[in-house]
Amino acid sequence: MGAKEGKQSSFSEPTRRGEIVLKLSEFEFPPMRDVLLVGRKAPIGPEAVRRMVDALSPEQYEIIRLQHPLFEAVVVKKSLLKILPEEKLLPIILEEGERVAAENTIVKVQVDVVIYVSRAVEL
Amino acid sequence: MQVQDIMSQPLVIVSSDRSVQAAVELMEQRRIGCLPVVDEGRLIGIVTSRDVRNAHPNRLVADVMSGEVVTVAPGNSLWEAKELLERHGIERLVVVERDAPLGIVTKSRLHSEIGKHVDSLTGLERAEFLQRKASELVKQGREIAIVFLDLDDFGTIDKEYGHVFGDEILVLVAKRLKSLMANGVDYLSRYAGDEFAVLTTRSLDEARELAIRMVTALQTESWPEGVKVTGSAGVAGGRRQDVRRAGNEIYTVSDLINMASLASTAAKKDGKPMVVAEKVCLAGESE
Repeated sequence: MGAKEGKQSSFSEPTRRGEIVLKLSEFEFPPMRDVLLVGRKAPIGPEAVRRMVDALSPEQYEIIRLQHPLFEAVVVKKSLLKILPEEKLLPIILEEGERVAAENTIVKVQVDVVIYVSRAVEL
Repeated sequence: MQVQDIMSQPLVIVSSDRSVQAAVELMEQRRIGCLPVVDEGRLIGIVTSRDVRNAHPNRLVADVMSGEVVTVAPGNSLWEAKELLERHGIERLVVVERDAPLGIVTKSRLHSEIGKHVDSLTGLERAEFLQRKASELVKQGREIAIVFLDLDDFGTIDKEYGHVFGDEILVLVAKRLKSLMANGVDYLSRYAGDEFAVLTTRSLDEARELAIRMVTALQTESWPEGVKVTGSAGVAGGRRQDVRRAGNEIYTVSDLINMASLASTAAKKDGKPMVVAEKVCLAGESE
């Protein structure tokens, strides 16, 4: 017992140091990109998203409520719907979303639409 | 008895921008199963313990509430509230006056209160129900009639066979009469001892036919121990009229019931199965 106590006393006093790490990046605005898929049990529901969108980017997004097993709603940038109609866009988004999302998640989707136009003119 | 007499107060509410977690804590703290959702004094939804059970605690109440709230006015009768609950298959009603929520009335509280107005022997409603329902129909401008049926010399059965046997007969009479009633048209009640009354939305002529069917049903039924059970019926009908019209004598629902009761007494006295009192102009009981 006496030998053990003698061994402990040979340790030096512990020191504590703090380290500060800063990560600076630009705030993505608006934070939801082009499309947001809201899971049925996600921490944020469609109404909360609507209030956030209304506050941050008024009149720029449309909220579409869904009858879907995983997703409760989809938030889509209105400008996107002008390029691609809802009935063409939504099935693709949902099909791909189903592969990666669960009902408790919110998935943001970046959508790039490229339209190829070829016209002929009479010479 | 009105909804405002039994509604739970003070009302605990939540706003739509609170979290589900906050709503759960509020319900647990106050030991209640639901919260009306009120924004700027206006009722916009209702959130129940079932709604929050599987919801993420971070969600807004707005995202889990039901926006379709079935409401009732404080002045509505308990039976009107019961009909609303049954029609919508729900457990509770929010009591609202001019868009502002005042309280909550639950199915269990309503049933317990209405149970006090149900005759425990026959399971039929008592006289108070008849009065309330009749006033409600008159307020709606509906034509109503009362059939009052008094069992003949029922005291003799009690004296000869005992009150337990007499009670058994009363239960069978109630059952037989109930079988003649049309749902949502005829409302049968045990008015007192051996007196039964039917409030009906049939015309006076049809009510008269119903009274004859009731009297005949008792006459032709085979009763235990071969006892004879007969009754005498009185019928009175009325419709709400313009109360200001000169020269029209206005009766209340109580008067109508009284007229039917007196008509049944007259029928018994004259040895007739049924007597019809004349048709009258009615004013609502609460007016």
